[in-house]
Amino acid sequence: MRHRVSVVKWPIRLNVKHFNTSSADKPDGSEIGLPRTQCPIQNHRARSTHAVSTVFEAINPSVRSWEEVPGPKPLPLLGNTWRFIPYIGGYSVEHVDKVCMSLRQQYGKCVKIAGLLGRPDMLFVFDAGEVERVFRSEDAAPHRPPMPSLNYYKHTLRKDFFGAEKDCAGVIAVHGDSWAAFRTKVSRVALSTGAAAQYTEQVADVADSFIQRIREIRDENSETPDDFLNEIHKWSLESLGLIALDTRLGCFSSSEGSDSQRLIDAVHTFFLCVGELELRTPWWRIYPTAMFRRYVAALDTILSVTLKHVERALESSEKVSNKSLLQDLVTAAGSRVAAVAALDMFLVGIDTTSNAVASTLYQLSSRPEVQESLYEEISSVVQGRQLRAGDINQMPYLKACVKEVLRLYPVVIGNGRQLTKDTVICGYKIPQGTQVIFQHYVMGNSDEYFADAQEFRPERWLQKSSYKHPFASLPFGFGRRMCLGRRFAELEMHVMISKIILNYKMEYHHKPLDYHIHPMYTPDGPLRIKFIER
Amino acid sequence: MFRHLLRTIATSKVVSTNGKLLSLGNYRSIVPLSTTRPHLQEDKIKVTFVMPDGRSLEADGKVGDTLLDVVVNNDLDIDGYGACEGTVTCSTCHVVLKQEDYDKLPDDACDEERDMLDLAYGLTDTSRLGCQITLTKDLDGLVVKVPAGTYDARS
Ligand code: HEM
Ligand code: FES
Repeated sequence: MRHRVSVVKWPIRLNVKHFNTSSADKPDGSEIGLPRTQCPIQNHRARSTHAVSTVFEAINPSVRSWEEVPGPKPLPLLGNTWRFIPYIGGYSVEHVDKVCMSLRQQYGKCVKIAGLLGRPDMLFVFDAGEVERVFRSEDAAPHRPPMPSLNYYKHTLRKDFFGAEKDCAGVIAVHGDSWAAFRTKVSRVALSTGAAAQYTEQVADVADSFIQRIREIRDENSETPDDFLNEIHKWSLESLGLIALDTRLGCFSSSEGSDSQRLIDAVHTFFLCVGELELRTPWWRIYPTAMFRRYVAALDTILSVTLKHVERALESSEKVSNKSLLQDLVTAAGSRVAAVAALDMFLVGIDTTSNAVASTLYQLSSRPEVQESLYEEISSVVQGRQLRAGDINQMPYLKACVKEVLRLYPVVIGNGRQLTKDTVICGYKIPQGTQVIFQHYVMGNSDEYFADAQEFRPERWLQKSSYKHPFASLPFGFGRRMCLGRRFAELEMHVMISKIILNYKMEYHHKPLDYHIHPMYTPDGPLRIKFIER
Repeated sequence: MFRHLLRTIATSKVVSTNGKLLSLGNYRSIVPLSTTRPHLQEDKIKVTFVMPDGRSLEADGKVGDTLLDVVVNNDLDIDGYGACEGTVTCSTCHVVLKQEDYDKLPDDACDEERDMLDLAYGLTDTSRLGCQITLTKDLDGLVVKVPAGTYDARS
């Protein structure tokens, strides 16, 4: 007998009553007044560096102290958080890309951002060699800088659900042994080299629907409407629904108020809020701000819609016998793991992939010669038949194009680790608990690591070692905690772009778009791409 | 702790709810499953790992095992080896082969492996990821080099 989700009975309270309580019983509320809080993760010692640094300096006298790391000075009481306040601060959350570029120019290869209210100090690293060193010294359960707001959601607000079973909270905003145990169960199924290829034909099917959808929404100039990105979100959600839930959600025919559109909106709200909640003053720790309430409502929506679909998928899967990610997960680890894995995938797998595709289409639309090379490669592999598993592996230029877009415009501009031990970086002793952010956007755009970095040249990925440091561009991260959905993301993107190239020539006839963080790194403005039938 | 975790997986069989042994054989790189094929148990394949300090570690594997299986099942003391449990995200299982052995391997590196090899420390022309090398009969007596690799960030 299969385990049915409904039997387990997980209470999800959709209306958030807790919020009306006074601030006094908020466990995190007390942190707010302390600009330099201790690392929120358990078992991390407070950062009194004295004893340690004495011992350390005895071993290696050339290592400089944490205090000496350059960076914008925190103000007394206000710290550095004020810099992100609109109009006053000068650092805009939307343009963290430019902030990072200028920090690199002003302060050098490692920059300290201290005194952010309610969160540990950060160290921005712009040196690929140091990124490599930190990654290579990772232990068995690397910490990514936590998102306190999601942490609060999973481990306080909804702990009845996420804490009901051992090691069942997922991978996002989860750390230590609990993360490792969950990750092991899921990554064996999601990341092994053949895992994604089995979905080629189904993912191609969704891409075909999108190709058709473009025909429907183009205007009389053959241009896509202003909200084209939302259409790409639908494609992304439809593809992920297939992979994580064995379900065709029917996003392309979805309307306002449908489950699919609610899911798309909720994921988008989640991402828009998370940046604001994390970087700006965390008032939500004291009282439930409007943004925080929207954020919680969005998470609740994602959770409830996901659960509904997992349940349905499990019921119908008793009849069908073909293997899938969901079924493998259920058999290997149980239905709750499968549901939580699906939730995490929905949280981070939709916007990332769709913005990567949007960015790629935009970049290709102004490069007819690249489109021609792609067309030659793809059409000679596919030869007019349906796309099959294995085809994509014969399209090195296509893969190189996607790598090149993600080098210049990584949708996640930086990725990080929270140090689980004191570590020397760039010659400074960085204390345990610091959030180290690897600046892939800045490094990927730097001539130091890529010859003529500003030029779009996919060929650089085809000539072995023509790029100078492999750790300078890691759009999916690296190591034991690398992106769990990478194989699927790549499959989805490769299939989608190959289908578009086979069907259309793309052109772009409007003013060039700047990029912004919204909340992925993505072209800022309506994507009015002209799709001309081949 | 981590070693122990790997071992638990390696020895526990995946049994479906109706009691049949599952074959997830389409996932070439899943660590544990290869050890559950009983009919192959006879074919012992000898493998030697030559460490950066010159030590040699010898161990037996079976046809169908990956080099990572061999390291895990024999509890070989190779620090940090196989951190991602064969999911091709870490390159800590990097080994260097002799040219003739390299040519003998039944499968070329797939794209995922090649992307990860680019990030391996001390990459050579005959480098492969140990979690992606599956033992065959004619690899008996295989000798591979384990390159110095994992830096210690504190040193
Ligand atoms: C172009 C698309 C994508 C990009 C650029 C991307 C990028 C990333 C990055 C940089 C990380 C952090 C890795 C690290 O810390 O080393 C990550 C983590 C993650 N990604 Fe993706 N991702 C994409 C698509 C997806 C998709 C489609 C899914 C789900 C199917 C997904 C699921 C996850 C999960 C679950 C994690 C957390 C892993 C953990 O903490 O163990 N991602 N992603
Ligand atoms: S074990 Fe991580 S890549 Fe082989």
